[in-house]
Amino acid sequence: MSELDLSLGLLAALVACGAALGLDAASWPQVMISRPIVAATFGGALLGDAASGFLVGAVLELLGLGHTPYGAAVYPETGPAGLLAGAGLAASGGTDIGPLLVAVASGWAIGWIGAISVRMQRRLNERLLAGGGLAAPAKRLERRHRLAMVLDALRAGTLTAAFALPVMLLVKLADGVSMIEGVVAASALLLVGMGLAGGVGVGVMRRRATDPLLLLAGGAIALAMIVTGQ
Amino acid sequence: MKPTRSDQVASFLRCFAVQGSWNYRSLVAGGLANAMLPLLRRVYAGDPVRLRAAVERHLEPFNGHPYLCPMAVTALARLEHDGESPERIDRFRSALRAPLGAVGDELVWATWRPFCLLLSITLFWLWGRPWVAVGVFLLAYNLGHIWLRAWSFRRGWTEGLGVGKDLGDPPWARVVPWITSLNLLLIGSAVVLVSWLVAPDTLGRWGVALALAAAALLGYARPALGERLAAGLVLAAPVLLVLLGA
Repeated sequence: MSELDLSLGLLAALVACGAALGLDAASWPQVMISRPIVAATFGGALLGDAASGFLVGAVLELLGLGHTPYGAAVYPETGPAGLLAGAGLAASGGTDIGPLLVAVASGWAIGWIGAISVRMQRRLNERLLAGGGLAAPAKRLERRHRLAMVLDALRAGTLTAAFALPVMLLVKLADGVSMIEGVVAASALLLVGMGLAGGVGVGVMRRRATDPLLLLAGGAIALAMIVTGQ
Repeated sequence: MKPTRSDQVASFLRCFAVQGSWNYRSLVAGGLANAMLPLLRRVYAGDPVRLRAAVERHLEPFNGHPYLCPMAVTALARLEHDGESPERIDRFRSALRAPLGAVGDELVWATWRPFCLLLSITLFWLWGRPWVAVGVFLLAYNLGHIWLRAWSFRRGWTEGLGVGKDLGDPPWARVVPWITSLNLLLIGSAVVLVSWLVAPDTLGRWGVALALAAAALLGYARPALGERLAAGLVLAAPVLLVLLGA
């Protein structure tokens, strides 16, 4: 197990990234840098291993396929969560299954904690925009709107700061667990979870009789690619 | 007065922050009114009373897909410019909410975004280059994203009350079913490819494939159960790892 090297500068960079990614999810500009594959790759790159970051981001992405931001739906906040999961796995020094499992579970849990903080932020926005007088002068509306976005970035930055060290340490600890039974059983749980989430994701898109067949055909094509690749 | 080019540019840029003050009471209305302000200030130049009335009108609850909200911004501003009555504007505003949400959700959240994400994951498996995969995702997704915002902004101003036709038969209507079918194939392949990357060699590979297929079918048939079960398994995995590894 290598040492965990996390300087204050790196922590500040993570927090700044977390704030920007949190802002992107809904407030501004929604270019999807907040998606797990992007956020986790950023996190991995900051800790020196972008590929590890992408991998954990891809797992989080598949797990979140069924969670779409329709209307007022509550869904995991993926920006800070992906960033920290990617950074955590990269900091552990590799893509061993133990650290990967902990990084994925941490990212998933932080995503839902982030969702709670987003709800609180939206309640606060209610107060910011409540009452009359916003339209006179209209500059008041512009100021409150900007304030809401600043608060959203602060919220995401705070979330990132609060969980950066715990996630790094947890993932690092998993690096020391090497017992094979634990790894096999735990990774089997993750894989079944991914399969379930994939099925849920298909259900979200459209309900046609041929949907499961297309899903299985995609899996078969991938198997063929793997076999021929080997 | 008719909004100038610079008013339109300012309004369009504000549309990127249309959800900036999203809340459970007025939903996206704060962002909508904020994005309309550059246009309304021109329309009601020199008439602060009517400007105030218009802003208050558009602070009433409103929702819609964020990428299609520019259509509401410009269509409503066009109605204000054309001197339509407040009652007619309110009715039109209410009628826009559902289609703007439904059309955008289906196109962007359920079709375009998953397609770009799954394509990116597949590219990563093929080439192993994370920045290429991320770059392709961001470029492809945002080409569609920016085009949709620009299209809806333009159509809202030119069509005004007639935007319903665009929403009823949008230019992408024939393409979406094809991309959806492709997405289903890509989900199946992405789940297998990522599983192959993360599964330890000690797990039987064909057993993994069968377990994935069975789990995916269960998730499809019982999405609510599948969602809860998947979350539970993901969180239980590291706990089990520590318990058995300790």
